[in-house]
Amino acid sequence: MIILQYLFYILIFPGALFTIAAGLLLAGIDRKVIAHMQKRIGPPVAQPVYDFFKLLGKETIIPATANRAAYLIAPVVSFVSLCIVMLFIPILGFRAIGGAADMIVILYLITIPGAALIVGGAASGSPFAGIGISREMVTMMAYELPLVIILLTVAKKVGGDMLIFDLGIVSAYQAQAGSLITEWSMIPAAVAMLLVIPAEIGTQPFDVAEAENEICEGPLVEYSGSPLALFKLSINMKMIIMTGLFTALFFGGIRTGFVITDLIVFVLISTAVMLVCITTTHAITARLKIEHLFKFYWTVVAGLALVSAVLVWIGL
Amino acid sequence: MIQHFPVLAVMSLFLGAFLVEIFGTKREAVRNAITFVTFTLVLILLYALIKPVILEGRVISYWMGNWEPVAGYAIGIGYEVDALGLVFAIIAITAFWLSNLYSFGYMKGEHHLGHFYTLFMMLCGSIIGFCMTGDLFNMYIMVEIMTFSAVALTGFNTDKDGALEAALKYLVICSVGSGFILTGIALIYLQCHTLNIAQLATMLAGRLTPTTLMSFGLIVAGFGVKSFMVPFHTPLADAHAVAPSPISMVLSGVVTKAGVYGMIRCIYILFRAMDLTQMQILITTFGTVTMFLGVSMALKQHDFKRLLAFHSISQVGYILLAVGLGTTLGLTGGIFHAANHMLFKGLLFLAAGAVLHQTGGITDLDRLGGLSKKMPHTTICFLVGAAAISGIPPFNGFASKWLIYQAAYTKAIESGNFYYLIVTIAALTVSVMTLASFVKITQAVFFGQLSEANKDVTEAPKVMLVPMYIISALCLITGVGYKFFASYFVLPAVNSAVNVTNYIDVMMGDGYAAAAGVSNMAADNVMISSWSPVVYLILFVTVLAAACIVILASSGDRGRVVEVTDKDALKHSNFFSGEEPVYSHVSGSDMLWGYKHNFKAYYNIMDKIHTGRMTDYCSMVVIAAAVIIVFMFMFMR
Amino acid sequence: MMIYNYIACILLIVLGLYTVCTQKNLLKTIIGLGITDYGINLLIVSSGFNDGGSVPIYQMSDLLNGVSSQFFVDPVPQALTLTSIVIGACVNAMALAIVVMIKKKYGSINVDDVRRLKG
Repeated sequence: MIILQYLFYILIFPGALFTIAAGLLLAGIDRKVIAHMQKRIGPPVAQPVYDFFKLLGKETIIPATANRAAYLIAPVVSFVSLCIVMLFIPILGFRAIGGAADMIVILYLITIPGAALIVGGAASGSPFAGIGISREMVTMMAYELPLVIILLTVAKKVGGDMLIFDLGIVSAYQAQAGSLITEWSMIPAAVAMLLVIPAEIGTQPFDVAEAENEICEGPLVEYSGSPLALFKLSINMKMIIMTGLFTALFFGGIRTGFVITDLIVFVLISTAVMLVCITTTHAITARLKIEHLFKFYWTVVAGLALVSAVLVWIGL
Repeated sequence: MIQHFPVLAVMSLFLGAFLVEIFGTKREAVRNAITFVTFTLVLILLYALIKPVILEGRVISYWMGNWEPVAGYAIGIGYEVDALGLVFAIIAITAFWLSNLYSFGYMKGEHHLGHFYTLFMMLCGSIIGFCMTGDLFNMYIMVEIMTFSAVALTGFNTDKDGALEAALKYLVICSVGSGFILTGIALIYLQCHTLNIAQLATMLAGRLTPTTLMSFGLIVAGFGVKSFMVPFHTPLADAHAVAPSPISMVLSGVVTKAGVYGMIRCIYILFRAMDLTQMQILITTFGTVTMFLGVSMALKQHDFKRLLAFHSISQVGYILLAVGLGTTLGLTGGIFHAANHMLFKGLLFLAAGAVLHQTGGITDLDRLGGLSKKMPHTTICFLVGAAAISGIPPFNGFASKWLIYQAAYTKAIESGNFYYLIVTIAALTVSVMTLASFVKITQAVFFGQLSEANKDVTEAPKVMLVPMYIISALCLITGVGYKFFASYFVLPAVNSAVNVTNYIDVMMGDGYAAAAGVSNMAADNVMISSWSPVVYLILFVTVLAAACIVILASSGDRGRVVEVTDKDALKHSNFFSGEEPVYSHVSGSDMLWGYKHNFKAYYNIMDKIHTGRMTDYCSMVVIAAAVIIVFMFMFMR
Repeated sequence: MMIYNYIACILLIVLGLYTVCTQKNLLKTIIGLGITDYGINLLIVSSGFNDGGSVPIYQMSDLLNGVSSQFFVDPVPQALTLTSIVIGACVNAMALAIVVMIKKKYGSINVDDVRRLKG
């Protein structure tokens, strides 16, 4: 019975199926809203779904320089680890597996898709991919520092004098004391987190790793067919996971009492977060250079997060 | 019967060293048989001690020549095995056994192999003796034998460029470090007139006179040199780059750990000064600086083994940071990370050695590339090691690093000191920088395009692959079953480090510790909170299987995977903006440009510090030792 | 009068470390190591000395019957010094052997020329 329950969690909700559906939905809304911002009509909201199935039907070409095994396994690893991350993020009141992982574990789990993308790109043997993975890695280093500070700040805010890394407790604390976004000392951290999300997902202005018109999508340059479909799907899934993490960290106090309504509110908030930090920034900015990106994250964003950390540390 | 095992283990290694020198210089079979039998024997002897010492918590003592203490004064030289020493001895013998197996393949065809194995066994014997001795001067002698053999093995391949230079730097700097240790021991003897660690523990704790404080500073600096923390790290980087790979493995996995062990033994047991706030700040500062400097230097290297060497320094920084926190959780993380570091860094060095061996001695990252097609097994092992050292779950590096983060953060909120929060952030950030440098190696060596010079490279021989696969399996097992290892292997060692009364009583007679007023440190509860890798692994495997089925099912006639044939060679060549593809490999120096550009000023300073001049390095050692001593006199009296 | 011994050994140790840190000639570096060793040996052997003490040949009963330990010269430091001298000699021998080979290979024993491994 436990196994069936776990299988349900993994495969349907909040694992694979929900993450895929929500991710594709968010991606569709994102494209539609950007189109409207740019005075275009834009594709239908279901366009990411059509893209996914179209790619599944295409031929998979493996380059002669590629290491076949790593080239094919990397997208699967990326997809699988993202399915698992969602199990550990509380959806407002609901949590699939309690006490199995904490914030540090999630921090490491969400580096796995990045690492898989890097291994896959490297395995293709293309020089474009080589440049792309180099940039992807620098991007990861860039946003990891602020993300770490944000998570430790939340832990300090929630835990006080105790070691609290558990997201479930973070959620329960917010239900009692109000969402963390209402604390003014947490506002800089929230802003920093909003800036971390686009870099983690790789959208403009932080899409240096996959710059299409510069290095031809970097790590993905040689991919085609179903592996490419999985990677594209992973990027869409990351959208719901990162915005969901933001919701869990800063809007975790909202409770409606039912899992279904909780879920709807969760997706709505996540969509709103996405519209602010992904769609709008995408529409109004141009791509940064990699060295500027690194500098931006280690000075401005990390500085914002550190301000929050100091404020929380002195008890505000 | 069992009380003879420690001495037998050390003696059989030294005896084996002589036997190899006498009988094994000519015939390879005899030589390999002697070394293999000796190492296996010692392995069995030490593993037999696990049950009584680690699981049952007994302490085994052995007085050489049966010179037992008289009237509360230790006269003879005593061997004393507690869980702390045994854990480090087991780390050592495991690494040596695997390294020995590997060197049968790696060193085949070299000259003077008899001498090689003699030194190799002396190195192992000295480290195991170092971990098990209960006598301070004996500890010094073992350190010296260790330094000798390590230096000779570093410069073993005298034809290799830089080998002699590295050996000389290693020898001179480590001799200065040994000098510090010996001076410290002499000062302790002046004060206390005994050399037995158990007896000294009753005399020194909490009574830091200027003499003992001076000796404490000297001993911390001396073991700092032996564990190669910054700023004593310079000889290690040079030594790794030129030493034969099995030696690199034990240098990084075991010799640095010997320094860490000496430091734990001195700080926690001999002086029991770990509850002093200043001591904690001193050691954690050194740990944090070591951690960051090691990894940042690693990111700019372009020699395979030199890069790994800087990672050893960085990981020793993690261990020192955890040990320096002075909490039970921190010590657990530190010792666990020491064991894990031996495994994954050993694996990485063995993989590096396999590349070096098969490509005919190329370690320059800019001249390698695309080897994964020629050496698939080495690539798998290397990726496992890289994932483990970068702390990607479910490998073992994650488990121990995660304990260290928890310990550091707990320390931060318990002491209310913002400094420890910075330390935690640094530890977490260094982890992703570690990942970055391994991405660099992975791209530059194993993936990317195969150069014309390496067209005929073949997979490494089986005798080299077997140890690599064994360590890969151990990396996964200790990562998944980390709770088991932490509670049954590491925690006993931690308990023996913080509860010294048993250690003293077994050596000096019952009630000695109580009579001297020694009590156990208050051990706080070890909290190993939520991370259940078994659940995670089951989930991972289930979904992986499901996803693989999807992938395979989709490779019907629509999304089929086409093999390369001459006809559609162009279709399977790299995309090159429509041009004819040429050989173009993104190598090590091309990677991580955005990062290096921002750290240009920092790297200029680092280049000025790492001059390669021995006098500069010696000055760094002496100045750092002086700083440690001055710090102690200013803040710890 | 032991104070002179301690001053002398501290001077020797400091002098040795100074030589190691400043002298560019590798042979002088090794001489510096040797001087440090001598200083430490002097420190150890001084630690056992008692002015007017006798040879350390005694029965355990003498010791237990209240004869002070000031009575004889402590034998342990002498054993330690012997060991330490042997180790010091080995260090010097090995270092000299390496320097000879460096001279053959690099053509120089100046530290400024022996710095191929750096950065």
